[in-house]
Amino acid sequence: MATRRMTRSEQLQQTIMYPVDWLEERSGLVGGLRYFLFRKVPGDINWFQTLGSATLTAFIVQALTGVILAMYYKPDPNSAYDSIQHITNDVFAGWLVRGMHRWGASVFIILMFMHMGRVFLFGAYKYPRELNWIIGVLLLASGLGEGFTGYLLPWDQTAYWATVVGININGTAPFLGPFLAQFLQGGTYINADTLSRFYAIHMLMIPGAIAALIGLHLYLVIRLGVTSPPWSKEAAGTGPLNGASPNGRATRTGLSRFRRGR
Amino acid sequence: MPSDRIVERRRVFQQYKADVKERGKPFYPFAMFHDTVMSLVVVAVITGLAIVWKYSTPGDHIGTDPGWLGKLYDDPADPGTINFVPRPDWYFYFLFYLLRIFKWPNSVIIGTIGLPTVLLVLLLLVPFIDIRSERRLLRRPVAIVASVLVVVSMGVLTYKGATAKESLGSELVAKVPGWAKAANFTANKQAVGGAHLFAVSGCLNCHTYQGTGGGFAGAPNLTAEGAKNKGVQFQIDHLKCPACVNPGSPMPSFAGLGEANLKKLASFLEASKGTK
Ligand code: HEC
Ligand code: HEM
Repeated sequence: MATRRMTRSEQLQQTIMYPVDWLEERSGLVGGLRYFLFRKVPGDINWFQTLGSATLTAFIVQALTGVILAMYYKPDPNSAYDSIQHITNDVFAGWLVRGMHRWGASVFIILMFMHMGRVFLFGAYKYPRELNWIIGVLLLASGLGEGFTGYLLPWDQTAYWATVVGININGTAPFLGPFLAQFLQGGTYINADTLSRFYAIHMLMIPGAIAALIGLHLYLVIRLGVTSPPWSKEAAGTGPLNGASPNGRATRTGLSRFRRGR
Repeated sequence: MPSDRIVERRRVFQQYKADVKERGKPFYPFAMFHDTVMSLVVVAVITGLAIVWKYSTPGDHIGTDPGWLGKLYDDPADPGTINFVPRPDWYFYFLFYLLRIFKWPNSVIIGTIGLPTVLLVLLLLVPFIDIRSERRLLRRPVAIVASVLVVVSMGVLTYKGATAKESLGSELVAKVPGWAKAANFTANKQAVGGAHLFAVSGCLNCHTYQGTGGGFAGAPNLTAEGAKNKGVQFQIDHLKCPACVNPGSPMPSFAGLGEANLKKLASFLEASKGTK
């Protein structure tokens, strides 16, 4: 049995690739990642189209800082305010984490609006991306819900009274309003249950929904591709440029193929 | 048979996919580079804001004095305060200001629930209202007008909300002196304080008082509650546990307001013997 001995570099490569191959063989994840990274996007996309991933980054910042805050925050009216003071004044870099969470929320909301604006101006919500627009609107509403429920948590005057007003606003809705208001309040006047209820909604329910919706959103982005800027001369969807592809080969793609098929 | 429009948009999308395949560029490294730069900017801005928030706070950067970006935290919550101006976070200012345009009691529903719901539904429906495949902005005049209108009106409402001196609860609180005068308890400080609490505590979601309020779930009109002469102690007991006093009552407990506040509310209720 004369097997050739592997060279050193072949050996090295095999050792490095072993875990990757192991993972790929059992999950297909490596192929998936490769598809994600090397999939083609239109050649003319521009900076406005980074707003979506910027929003994603802001959400990730919120999730990470939120987890850290949750380690110190106490959702009960007797200690919530003190725990916020403790985080801000005593915990190492607590002020930074809280500040990032606080201002990250505003940045997240602004970015969502800007991203939505670019999608609107690009007409990127049109066929076949209608569903992704709808998911986007749900994300926007959930994001605002995060803002509303998070605002109460410091349990200071601003927080408390803004929430009283907010709940009363819900209370003005016909029929269901008072029930909704009572649900948010946890049965009675704003009290201990209100706080823990808002806390649960703020750190479990809505973030879970947002994460799931973002997953769907990105799945559709990858599946359908992103649109070219509408003003672009070489926008994807307009067909071959002067009947020839950039590398000079005549194309048989798209329009011509479709025409023949009809 | 699919309509021409449907055939056409399918064709355009097939063309899009073919074009991307033909002359697109790979996500990594091109698009990914832009995305990464932008994400770093986002993280830097957020961090910067956090630092400015902390270090522009006067003194040794702790406490309730406002810095450039506002207070680190306010005084602790006190359900008994009656003159606090509630203010939501800035992205709710527009909603907040709508409440000042549509006033109690008749049209408040339009402002708080009606308009936002209509806007949300319209937003969801955008792709189904605008079904043409034209994407160039200059050929979408309706879209241009609509977006300018939305941006301008949101901007104006947000600005107005930010500069408004008082707010929703105050819509009702402003009525307190009128109530006190009509029911003749202006001199009774306890009762006036109770009226403030009554205005901000959500009682009017269900009850009616001197023509203001909800009238929900069979909640009685309380304009002449005091004329029943049930007594301050009864009122306190009822507020603490409505169902204990009036079996089957759907009214929530307000025990959380605290003894002193309940006393004020009770004096207010007992002082309300109807308008002359
Ligand atoms: C969810 C709706 C709701 C809210 C909010 C509410 N009530 Fe009531 N209230 C009722 C209903 C229903 C009744 C009739 C049943 C009863 O008497 O308990 C009632 C009865 C009353 C009565 C009459 C008691 C009697 O037997 O004479 C008073 C006084 C009263 N409420 C005061 C208040 C005050 C003050 C507030 C705010 C702090 C308030 N209510 C908030 C629903 C409500
Ligand atoms: C948590 C919030 C959101 C995240 C993380 C997010 C993320 C993304 C990302 C990464 C993309 C890829 C292209 C780009 O970056 O522009 C994208 C595209 C898109 N988004 Fe969002 N988005 C969010 C909210 C929204 C909202 C509020 C809307 C609109 C109501 C929306 C509608 C769309 C549509 C229609 C596309 C496809 C655009 C195209 O094909 O050109 N998204 N989103």
